[in-house]
Amino acid sequence: MMNPQSCVKIQKEWDIVGARQLGRELAKEIGFGTVDQARIATAISELARNIYLYANHGEIRYEIIQVPEHKAGLCLIAEDEGPGISDISQVMKDGYTTSGGLGAGLPGVKRLMDEFEIHTEVERGTRIRTIKWLR
Amino acid sequence: MDLQIKHTEKNEQTIISLSGEIDAYTVTKLKETFSTTMNSEGKDVIVDLEEVTYMDSTGLGVFVSALKTAKENDGELKLVNVQDRVYRLFQITGLNEIMDVNKAAIRGVNE
Amino acid sequence: MENFFKERAEEYKKLLAEYIETQDEKALYEVELVSKAFIKHNILPEEIINLHIKALKEIYPDLVVSYEHSMDFLLEAMISYGLAHQEIQVLREQQIALKSEISIAAEMQQKLLRTNKPEVPGVDIGVISVPANQMNGDYYNFLLNTDGSIGIAMADVIGKGIPAALCMSMIKYSLDSFPEETMRPPVILNNLNRVVERNVESNMFITMMYAQYFPNSGRLAFSSAGHEPGYYYNAVEDRFTEITTRGLVLGVSEDAEYEEKELLINKDDMVILLTDGVTECRDGERFIEIHEVLEVIKQYSHLSSQEMVEQVYKHFERLQDFKLQDDFSLLILRKTV
Repeated sequence: MMNPQSCVKIQKEWDIVGARQLGRELAKEIGFGTVDQARIATAISELARNIYLYANHGEIRYEIIQVPEHKAGLCLIAEDEGPGISDISQVMKDGYTTSGGLGAGLPGVKRLMDEFEIHTEVERGTRIRTIKWLR
Repeated sequence: MDLQIKHTEKNEQTIISLSGEIDAYTVTKLKETFSTTMNSEGKDVIVDLEEVTYMDSTGLGVFVSALKTAKENDGELKLVNVQDRVYRLFQITGLNEIMDVNKAAIRGVNE
Repeated sequence: MENFFKERAEEYKKLLAEYIETQDEKALYEVELVSKAFIKHNILPEEIINLHIKALKEIYPDLVVSYEHSMDFLLEAMISYGLAHQEIQVLREQQIALKSEISIAAEMQQKLLRTNKPEVPGVDIGVISVPANQMNGDYYNFLLNTDGSIGIAMADVIGKGIPAALCMSMIKYSLDSFPEETMRPPVILNNLNRVVERNVESNMFITMMYAQYFPNSGRLAFSSAGHEPGYYYNAVEDRFTEITTRGLVLGVSEDAEYEEKELLINKDDMVILLTDGVTECRDGERFIEIHEVLEVIKQYSHLSSQEMVEQVYKHFERLQDFKLQDDFSLLILRKTV
């Protein structure tokens, strides 16, 4: 069972704040604790900043996942039509982004969340889908 | 010991003044400088080594590849004010015969 | 894991309450131990702050709200530290793996480059080659030719570490594969120059001194490709002379030409080949002069060639406080009859 999606457009740096805000509210609603709320917000920051820096604009969509009597979670989808990533394995390596001072990067998002999927095509754009499960 | 790199453009020439030691640790910096200054066509680059007190063989390697880049781009590479100890290195390796290495300053530099 | 965290969390709360009460150093010491256990179990900083907030709330149920907010703020600020910590952890593990790979590679290099010091009557040879780091960029090689002559190569790859080591293996295999009739020093350097020129990046090159010694006649032919000059010690005159030839380093220009010089050596004379790791030794801030090296060699000249090179190495190792700046290689050949 899925809730209707919510969505935040990322066009300027301040949109990152809005994206975090909505993510945190949804996380709280689902029942995530303070630490996980902070982690989800940080993951959203990374995703949104990537869009803002490399693709100029794109969006972050939120889905609340409810599997009855089983588990609940928050799914984030970050999508842009930017330049894409030519070498994913390089970008997913530790030590790649931090040296440039860009933050935790995609490996960081992967660590903060539980599931992580990336689809990217050069010149076409990037789509990242990531889930945090309520424990 | 560190390597200081100073960059001046003068007429059609680029003058790179180095001071300090060129070794395996500082050589990356020099490599980067060369790769950014030498990639345009027909550029003359003068490297002033007056303040370079020590250079090891890794330094030579960078000058050799800089020379190759210069030749490919129809440019020139000139080394001036080379101290005796460093000059000896160019002499032993025979590189002074294929490279423009000068112990003294040339006109236009350090004026 | 869950249990571990719960137990330690209880302990943390207890220690915190104790400390607030007494400001006792003992509680601080004990929390240090708890903290170490957390690190060992990869507990991230934000979780510890969360633990702290919860503990505080239990100790002070009516905690000032603004204080509580400030702690949430701190927790948020710690998330990135937690990430950086995890990343460093992974990088550290990778580094350990890399280090062990390099040491295996270094061992392989030694095996690949192994050469046997020829035992020929009338000639006493000593040689030492010590890398400054794990992989040696210096290299020496002996060849025993069917005409009874001994070929000796002393080389230094410009560039250090693994690329230099790979390059050395290439030289070694080229040397071994040349037909014997071409083994005159300038011919060898010419051939090697072409191999290196074709196969190696432009910022890497090799210097080499190649010598061919005829034990029966005492004739030494040598040729240098931009290598550090060697020395000839004349025992009768008790004098060192520099030996070198003009010639460009290997791998820079295809057209390089190499010249050959000859020397006739007599009983007790010595030929010394070395790399710049020897001549560029430092005594504090000062570079040593070559005559100092030669004096040290002479000081030990009553010993066998092998003992001599070892003692000379020990001397300069001590002088540089046991931290070699560059690979150190020294070879001495002495005519004994």
